[in-house]
Amino acid sequence: MTPTVSASGLSLRYGGTRALDDVSLRLTGGVTGLLGPNGAGKTTLLRVLATARPADRGAFTVLGHDPGTTRGRQEVRRRLGYLPQTPGLHPDFTAFEFVDYVAILKELTDRGARHREVRRVLDEVGLADVRGKRIRKLSGGMRQRVALAAALVGDPGFLVLDEPTVGLDPEQRMRFRELIARAGEGRTVLLSTHQTEDVAMLCHRVLVMAGGRLRFEGTPAELTARAAGRVWSSAERDPDAKAGWRTGTGTFRNVGDPPDGADLLEPTLEDGYLLTLDGAGAEVAA
Amino acid sequence: MSWHVPEEDLRAYARGELAAPALWSADAHLTSCARCRGALAEVSDPVELDAGWERLDAELDAPRTGVLESLLVRVGVAGHTARLLAAAPVLRRSWLGAVVAVLLLSVGASHAVRGGEFPTLFLALAPLLPLAGVALSYGPALDPTYEMAVVAPMHGFRLLMIRTVAVLGVVLGLNGLATLALPEYGLRALAWLLPALALTATGLALTPRLGPVLAPSLVGGAWVGLLVTADALRAGAEAPLAPFTPAGQGVAAAVAGLGAGLLYLLRDRFDLFQGRAA
Repeated sequence: MTPTVSASGLSLRYGGTRALDDVSLRLTGGVTGLLGPNGAGKTTLLRVLATARPADRGAFTVLGHDPGTTRGRQEVRRRLGYLPQTPGLHPDFTAFEFVDYVAILKELTDRGARHREVRRVLDEVGLADVRGKRIRKLSGGMRQRVALAAALVGDPGFLVLDEPTVGLDPEQRMRFRELIARAGEGRTVLLSTHQTEDVAMLCHRVLVMAGGRLRFEGTPAELTARAAGRVWSSAERDPDAKAGWRTGTGTFRNVGDPPDGADLLEPTLEDGYLLTLDGAGAEVAA
Repeated sequence: MSWHVPEEDLRAYARGELAAPALWSADAHLTSCARCRGALAEVSDPVELDAGWERLDAELDAPRTGVLESLLVRVGVAGHTARLLAAAPVLRRSWLGAVVAVLLLSVGASHAVRGGEFPTLFLALAPLLPLAGVALSYGPALDPTYEMAVVAPMHGFRLLMIRTVAVLGVVLGLNGLATLALPEYGLRALAWLLPALALTATGLALTPRLGPVLAPSLVGGAWVGLLVTADALRAGAEAPLAPFTPAGQGVAAAVAGLGAGLLYLLRDRFDLFQGRAA
């Protein structure tokens, strides 16, 4: 299968910080999750792949086009949907007006066709009933859906979502996950997130970043399998564990190298993620 | 309700053939008249009726145009371009109010304190307004949609130029009106124009290198520094400051030309994100 995104050796320094360090990856259709702690380089990678910022070194193609050239960058942008980490919305615009504004930026200049497209994407994210409402009167979840609708204008082949579920309550998060899953049908979605539940529920592939490097690339099942035989239960926190926390039952769940005779537990995606970060030298939250 | 849509118009409406302004009247009337909606249903093909309702629905959803946007469309600006301009932060009423306030104060001060052949305070402040206006209309710090706009297919330089022309049009127009309020100074009250163009062009040209906040701030600071230095060096309290003399105006014109040329050479840099890396 021809990959939607193919990147090799992407590196980017910002001042003294190595934001990206020799990142190579391939993305195909469906939702790919990008996990990593704060400062891992996730947003920088997303900005590079979304053509907002060039890498210092390395090359990549998106949908067969080279964003390193002006023409290639324009072609990529015509097929790209991008939801930034903090999408700025004009609060005095209605949902319809805001998406209409973004549609103009996406070169939809014919008024009738543009308004049909705006209605289509607002319907798609379930905001048909509030499209005439001012953004400042919408809830946080609705605002995030307005931003997603803007990203979906023009039916992009590559959709980049930077932590779209941050700040949403559990119900809104679940609803947003449904939208992302639907958006992943027939297109390639790269979803940056802190939440391993997002990846477990939505993604067929997962990338883990830390310190600007890609530490893992595979399926969620493969990431989970990294923790097989390395998660155990104990009455007290095991001091030798990489991470350990008290669970709802009152016992401790430990991740790391178990002692002999430990009461092993079924690993989760989060366990695999924590162990991957530990191997990367990143701080593991306990 | 005394007036109802004539049956002939209803038939044309149902076929999608009713032309404006009769179309607008029918649209507005149908939203509030059950009798005409019923009549429309009777004369319509169901498929065409659905399409008609969809058209009506679309009109009701369509963004309402503000005063500025309507004005721009009336003077021939394309609808989609007018919409982009209406979203420019700097074109909001609060900013325009502040510009008018600064101009009124400086004009008032120039009337009250007449210290020479030139309205110095007005000439010192007026060039800073377009510089600030352009800086406030673009960039990650002040345009909430900046990051989405950067990765949109519309070229960043084109968006920048659309907004710059709009801001310059508005602010230079206000400055021009303020100049008319100083008739006793004659054409000397126009000595702000070339420095304004020089500061704006230089600020924009330095933006790809220094960023959208630091570049205009430094240029504005340099202008103030230049005026303070010129004030310290001038021959007497009545003598004009160097930037407002013919020689100073020539330098301003040259700087404006150089800045515009450099800006054009760097136009592709506006197509990329100019904020901090995350």
